[in-house]
Amino acid sequence: MSANLKAWVLAAAAAEPSPTRAAVNRRNILIGMLAVASGVGAFVIFALLTSEGQLVRVGGEVASHRHLERSVWLVATTAGGALGVAATALWFALCRGRSMLGRSRSRLLCGIALIPLGLFAWKVSCSLAFGDPMAEWPERPGLRCLSLSLLVAAGPLLAFLAARRSAPVQPALNGAAIGMASGACAWVALDLWCPVAFVPHLLLGHVLPLCIVAGTGALLGQALLSLRSR
Amino acid sequence: MARLRISGREERRVWFLTNPGVDGSDAAMERYSNGDNAAFAELYDAIAPRLLGFLRKATRDAGAAEDLMQQTFLQIHRARGSFIPGAPVMPWALAIAKRLMIDSARRRRVEEGLFMHAPADDERMTSAPTATAAADDVLDARRLERRVQQRLDALPETQRTAYRLVKQEGLSLKRAAEVLDTSVTAVKLRTHRAYQALRAVFREEAGAA
Repeated sequence: MSANLKAWVLAAAAAEPSPTRAAVNRRNILIGMLAVASGVGAFVIFALLTSEGQLVRVGGEVASHRHLERSVWLVATTAGGALGVAATALWFALCRGRSMLGRSRSRLLCGIALIPLGLFAWKVSCSLAFGDPMAEWPERPGLRCLSLSLLVAAGPLLAFLAARRSAPVQPALNGAAIGMASGACAWVALDLWCPVAFVPHLLLGHVLPLCIVAGTGALLGQALLSLRSR
Repeated sequence: MARLRISGREERRVWFLTNPGVDGSDAAMERYSNGDNAAFAELYDAIAPRLLGFLRKATRDAGAAEDLMQQTFLQIHRARGSFIPGAPVMPWALAIAKRLMIDSARRRRVEEGLFMHAPADDERMTSAPTATAAADDVLDARRLERRVQQRLDALPETQRTAYRLVKQEGLSLKRAAEVLDTSVTAVKLRTHRAYQALRAVFREEAGAA
């Protein structure tokens, strides 16, 4: 092996500054703050535009003659559980354990499948316990929830992809896991804002955006996280 | 008496730096990720021979192998800040090298050429015979070596890479599975099939003799 090769590699590395661990940690904290700010900002703007600034909605008119309310306990329980799932999803997507190669394909696939299932099951089981929110709301098919979810998840998705930077193996699945985690964070905002727990509404307005964000994450992950030769 | 309080992560880092059983390359990478620029040369010395050997065998092109190795080290350099304390460097470096190799081959659209060209300066699988060996033995050994090499080249790329990582690079099945992004069972199967194919060469040689 030639000494020239070593000299070239060392010179190339010296010519290109790279952040140390301390710098990366500082940058990741900043990125985390930006992700939170963008998610919360999008949520507040959406609420201002669509529900007169109401971030937590406990009820509404199901039909012209029928008003439904959900209790504060139900809001706290569903949003609290969703927050727990979102935190777990973030840990799952962003932490790589003790290996630089990250999680295996099977674990990533399991995680990506379990996150929406967990959120959906939690929402439905909590709502079943309270009864009324499971009723059909004909005027709310879930399109506004779909929009809210996509808007809130977009910023965190980009921020978390920037924090991850690269994935030598499974870039698309890592991107999908990051997308699913971003969608799970948006689900918390949805739980606060949306009083509807009618199952078709949940599938269209709550679960579908999770899948869309995960799919977008997979595409962006393949494009941004995979390594490219010169 | 004041007690020194350190976090779990710091504790792991201290253990990692003081544990004599830890690979030298891992310790060098740990220091490099913390800002010790001189450790990069140590890291290079520790992993470059194995990395270059892997790339030469995989690409069958000395120039391409050196180019890919340079790129691999630059990727490691760029990602040093995100290195996880206690993580092994070699599987990571091999995974980067493999990914860059595939991307490079794809980009040039000469994957077949990269993997199938007969090498001029390839590292040999078997050790060279000594100068004192008889001329017939030397010829036999070379013929056998060629046949083994041809059989290895004829194997599917997945089996060949798995065999090299496990049998030649000495990676554990788990680490090789991480590098190849597959399951331990798949690596075991691929290595076993490659091993059986190579054993068949020796059996044929023994039968001919």
